[in-house]
Parts: sequence; C-alpha cells; structure tokens
Amino acid sequence: MGVWLALALLAGCAATAPTTNTSNDDALPRAWDGNPDLNGIWQTLSTANWNLESHTSYGGLAEIGVLGATPPGIGVVEGGEIPYTASARKKQQENFKNRYTQDTEAKCYLPGIPRAHYMPYPFQILQGDRKVMMVYGFAEANRTVHMDKANPEPAPIDSWMGRSHGRWDGDTLVVQAHGFNGEAWLDRAGNHHSWALEVEERFTLIDKNVMRYEATLTDEEVYTRPWTISMLLYRHLEPNAEVLEFKCVEHSEELLYGHLRRGAPGT
Amino acid sequence: MKKSLLKLGTLFGGLMGAMVVQANVEVHHIVLAVSQADTAKSWYTRHLPCEEVAERPERLLCGGMQIELEARQSIGGSQGTSVNHIGFSYPDVAAKMQSLADVGVGGAGVRLQRFPGGELVEGDEEHGLHGFIFDPWGTRIELVQAEGEPAFHHIHLASVDPSATQSWYVEHLGAEPQGTGVELGGTPFMIEANSEGRPAATKERAIDHIALVADDLDAVSSDLADSGVQLRGPTVPANARGGAERTLLASPDGVRIAIVSEAWDGIGDTQTQAAEMAQTDVPFDPPRTPWGEPDLQGMWSGNVSHGIPLERPDDVATGELTEEQAAARREQGTLASIWGYEREWRDTTLGYDKFQASRQVSIIIDPPNGKLPETTTVGAEAAAAAAMRRLVVAAGPEDLSSWVRCITRGMPTMMMSGVYNNGLQIQQSPGYVAVQKEMIHETRLIPTTEKPRNGIKQWLGSSRGYWEGDTLVVQIKDFNGRAAYRGAGDNMTMTERYRLVDENTLEYQFTIDDPTIWKAPWTGMFHFKRHEDQYELVEYACHEGNYGMTNILSAARTKDRELNEPSGD
Repeated sequence: MGVWLALALLAGCAATAPTTNTSNDDALPRAWDGNPDLNGIWQTLSTANWNLESHTSYGGLAEIGVLGATPPGIGVVEGGEIPYTASARKKQQENFKNRYTQDTEAKCYLPGIPRAHYMPYPFQILQGDRKVMMVYGFAEANRTVHMDKANPEPAPIDSWMGRSHGRWDGDTLVVQAHGFNGEAWLDRAGNHHSWALEVEERFTLIDKNVMRYEATLTDEEVYTRPWTISMLLYRHLEPNAEVLEFKCVEHSEELLYGHLRRGAPGT
Repeated sequence: MKKSLLKLGTLFGGLMGAMVVQANVEVHHIVLAVSQADTAKSWYTRHLPCEEVAERPERLLCGGMQIELEARQSIGGSQGTSVNHIGFSYPDVAAKMQSLADVGVGGAGVRLQRFPGGELVEGDEEHGLHGFIFDPWGTRIELVQAEGEPAFHHIHLASVDPSATQSWYVEHLGAEPQGTGVELGGTPFMIEANSEGRPAATKERAIDHIALVADDLDAVSSDLADSGVQLRGPTVPANARGGAERTLLASPDGVRIAIVSEAWDGIGDTQTQAAEMAQTDVPFDPPRTPWGEPDLQGMWSGNVSHGIPLERPDDVATGELTEEQAAARREQGTLASIWGYEREWRDTTLGYDKFQASRQVSIIIDPPNGKLPETTTVGAEAAAAAAMRRLVVAAGPEDLSSWVRCITRGMPTMMMSGVYNNGLQIQQSPGYVAVQKEMIHETRLIPTTEKPRNGIKQWLGSSRGYWEGDTLVVQIKDFNGRAAYRGAGDNMTMTERYRLVDENTLEYQFTIDDPTIWKAPWTGMFHFKRHEDQYELVEYACHEGNYGMTNILSAARTKDRELNEPSGD
C-alpha cells in the first residue's frame, strides 16, 4: 500500500520536474575540479520503465495477479506522446502485445540508453578525472562516458549501450551517445528506436540528493522529430547502499531456451 | 661531422651558452634485440640493405649504419616505445614494399603494417612516399622514398614533449636542430609527439638502445654529469672486447643511450649487458589522481599474460628445462596465439605491438615451487565432481558452465587472460575503484573507504578495498559458490593486490584462501599492460549473442534421441 502511494506521489514529482528550477549553487556538492559531484548511487521513482507515456494501470500475466500489473503513471515525455511515424507506432503496438516474451528486459539483454537510467534498479556513477563510468546493476550493464576526447569519435561498432562522449555545460553533464544497434526497447510497453538513434542526455543536480535526467532522442527512422524525456533521479542515502549483482541471465534462460530443455514438447 | 662549440654558440647565442656541452659524439651503432642472432642476420641481409661484418657474429652494416644484434628471450615491439622505429630509404618504395609483401608472414617472414585502407604505402612520389614493416622480433621499420642506393635513413623518437626532447639532444649531445628533430653526427633523428601519450621506455624492447661514440669519453662523461644528466660510467662492461669503456645515460622518455669509446668493438655476454643497462633506468614514481589517491586508471590489456600456466611445468620443476628455456617457450606460445587471433578479429596489425609477451613460467608465485598446495579430501572430491559434470549431456542451461551461459567466469578467473577479450578498464572516483573486464562485461565496484559487508552472497562475492601505500588491496568474501574455482567458492577468501610497476605495467597479485579445499593459501601474479588508445572495451554482449547455447542444447537433444533409439543390430 505504501509503495503504491509513494509511486503515485513521485510520478507527480516527475511530471513537474521539467519546469522546476530550484538549483541552488551553494548547496551542490562539488568534485575536485569544481564541477558538480555526481558520484553516488541513483535511481528513479518514476514509472518510466513500465511506460514512458502517460498511462492508467493495466493488468499483466493472469498467473501472477497484481505482481504482473503496470501501475499508473504520469508520462515523462515532454508534450505527452512520442512522435512516432505511423508505421513505428504500429510496431510499438505490436511490441506491446508481445511484451512478455519480446521485451529485451525480459530476456536480460543490455538495456541501452536511455533506458538504463530509469529501470527500477540502482546504478552508480563514478566521476573520475578523465572518464565518467556508470555501472548498472541490471544485466551487468555499464557505460563509459569519455570526457577526455575532444572530438567525438565514431563508435567502433554498433552496440547495445552505444558510445558516449561527455562535456560540462555549466553545471550540467551533457552526454552525446550514438552507435546503437537499435535492438533495445525503451520500456516494457514496447516503445522503441532504431540503429539511427542519437541521444543527448543532460544530468543536472538540483540539490545534493536529487538530479534531473533529461534525454533527447533523435531517430529519423522512427520519429517525426526529436523528443525529450525528463525525470528525477534520487540518491540512495542508506549507509549500506550498493549496486548489487543482478546477473539476470539465469532468470531468462527458461524463456530463451526452455524449448530445448530435455522433456520439452518436441525434443 | 663533429660539432664545434663555436657553431652551437652561434645558433643559440647567450640563451643556452652556459648549458651547451661540447659532446663531440655521433651514432656508432643501434642495438636490436632478437631471439637468435644468426636468424636475424639472414633476415636483415635478405630483406634490407645489410651486409654481414667479418668475424663479428653480432654485427651488421646496414646502408651506412652499424647494427648490433643481441640475443634475448624477451622481446617487445618497438612501436609504442620512445624509439618507435628506424628508417631505410629506397629509390622505389612501392616496389620494395610489394616485394616484401610477396615474402609472406610465415616463419621468419615479413610482417606488413598496412595503412587503414589496406595500402602498403602512403604519401606521394614528391612528398614522402613511405611504408612500414616489422622484423620478426618486433622492430618497426619505415621504408621511405629517396634517390640513390638503398641506405639507412633515420631514427624515429616518439616523445611526450618533442620540443623538450629536441632541446635535450641539442644541449647535452651537441646535436643540430632540424625541423622538429635533430641531426646528430650526420644521423637524422625525427622527433614527434607520441600519439598515445607517454611512450614506453626502450628497456627490454626490440630497439634496445642507441650507442654513440666519443673521441674523449672521459671528458664527455664529465661534461654530461656536470650538466645534470644522470649517468653511469665510464666503466668497462663485462666482456667488452678489448676492454673498451662505455657510459650509460638516462635520457628523455626512457631512450636508452650508451656512449662508447672509440676503441669499442662489441660485447659478448648479452645477459650481463641487460643487467648493466637496467641500472640507468629512472626510478618510477606512481601517478596520483587529482584528489590524491594512487592512480591506476586506464585501459589495460592482459594479452601479455595469456597462456601462463597456473602451475610451474614439471619439466622446469625437475630441471629438465631451464627457466630461460621455459620462458622462451612461453613467449612463443603467447605471441603465436594472441597475434594470430587478434590479427584475425581485431584488425590491429596497425600498431598492435605495445606489449611484450610475458616470460613468466607460472602464475603461482607462492608456494615458491610454483605448485598448488596439497588439496584436502573435500578439494579432491570437488575436482572429481567437476570433471564428471563436464561429461554430462546437458538437460538444460544449468548443466553448463557459468561462462558458457554468459553469466560469469567467477573469481579469480574473471581477471585471468584468455586468447581474446583481455581488456581491463579501471575507473576511479574518490573512495571507489571500478574494475571492469571485457570478457562477459563484468564490473566489480570496490569501495576503498570503510563500508561494512552486507552479507549477501554473489557470484563474484563482495569486494572491499583499501590503499596500502601505492597498492590497492581488495578483500573479497561472500561468494555464492556457483562459479567455484577448482572447488573453492562459498568458503573462499580472496585478497587482490594491484600495483603499478611502471607507467605501463600493472602488477596483479591474488591470494586464495579456502581451507576446505587447500591445506594452505596460495598466491598468483601476472601483469596487465597499458593499452590506452589502441584498445577499448568493445561491448562484449555475450548473452545477447549466445547462439552457442542454442546449438549446444539442440545438439544435446539430438544426442538424447540417438541414445534412446533402439539399436539397429
């Protein structure tokens, strides 16, 4: 009961985040070089991972009752809807129907960018002097943001997590990410992108324990214009907080390989 | 070609007058490390403008430059070091490169270093047509276009600060500035910024050192010492023919330079030579992060340590093979497998030689005999059970190893080198070190400040670290035991020690203590080499592309059917 109430309240916070500008410079923790100190363990309280767009609650797999249901949420998409082309919207709707077997999260596949930041699991930022590394509990995902390369280099090969270059724009860490393979879903509702995706992310501390996370997605293959999501990330303050292993592969094996198990129909 | 003080004084005026040393030196020879001098002599006389020198088995005369070959069992490429390559000129470089390409890479062949589009040569006829090859022992050689007979052309220095390096050669050795480089006694030295930051020292690399000659070695040595150059000598090296003297210098970026007297006539025992040379290597001062912790950050590769056996081989333990012979065998194995694989998969023939193969005979350094301690009964049973499991026809994924399943290789295997995916990225933030391995793409987050353990069992346990001087010490406990190492898992305590040995070498030590499996703890050690710009962790999406799992299980079901079918006999 308390959990759902908290989620509902925080979904409300997420929606107002884009217009909140309460940054108080003096209150921000600073790193050795004077930039805001983003080091720590962070997690969203939005429902973005269930569905980026506004949604009422809906049920899931009957066998697990409410455990499979999607809580309601005020969307994190600026302007309300993702500006899909008609065929891309149709694909999202197809994905939605097949979400229990086709969502890349269900398969324990790398979550991609921006999804890694709004999954319901903590991630840690290690802000060094040359790179910023983000380590996610889910699927051993990680990314390295190169702060030390003046000219963004092309990705050596398309990948799930892409290639990221960062810079400071005032007190905001701006990350340009590209080089995606286009396979990762954006949420459990089948929202998607293609290999052509380019993401510009903005990480802005609004006080020492809350960070605004914004991501603008440009992908001419599936969207009619660039669009932006915005939400808040909260610092884990528990003294024993840490990003634990969530090596989810073994929990995906029945889904992926169950048909090849001894005794399965047809074997 | 010797310089006069007057001439240098004219060039630099009063600015540097007080600093200038009348070195009166010129290049005498270049020392290349090879595994066997006679094979190297045939290679150089066949492929480059080199002739043998009568009664001098180690010496070649190559288009006007003397080259001395030293037999060493440890060779690392010259690329990535401060003497990046040497150059020879040919009137038709394209034709020469093509003829070298026709030789092939097999045996003591010619390794080509193609340009990114696959071309053998780059540039145009008028402006520096050139190409690169390697000798089989790692010396990088540039061929440049120039009129006339094929000849020695230049020495290429890679520097962290080219103008400082140029000044050093001018001030201390009396070289003449030429563009960004210098000319020293008629030999051109190109000096360029190293594309990968600080170059590695030439120590134990294929181009080992440059030897200059002085008409008055005592005077030159004394002048150099007065001008602040760290040096050793003049001394008579052991086994120097004719008892000739030599002075060794510490120079920018770790270029080994020797100055020999005019009586110099080569040296016999190269092992002695190597030990003497090491004495001028500048002590290493480990870098710090801006917030004051030892800085281990960077892109490291374990390629150097691939193939080191865990235990000391029996033929070494019994004395049948000397350690030197065993090291040579190891080195050959590493070079063959890594170069073969990486050439095929990473397309890194362009500049892949920043490391030298490890000469380590075994990973285990304690017990000192290089062997695992005696196992307990439980340990022996665990080993037997593990062997049995490998024979099972898998009913499902859980019958296969956690590596095949793309879950983890477990500890300490996670850190160990294989034939591919040996990248190791270390990232630090105040109070944290992240250790990320390319294989599987696993990251361990290590707090280096007091942080109580949470007691949750994990595949890789939970890591807690602290700094002991410049060494990162990490203690790992709370393993779930499901990726056990030779039976050691839930009762295992592992202690890691990470330490920079030099700018480009990370020493990794680990101690395994599991009294249920072994009667005593044991310690292993191997190295990672810095591989900053040539290497990056290309995402190894192991699970996402695990077609192997599907194939193994479907083959297993076929096997089931074969076993269940009634025999046709």
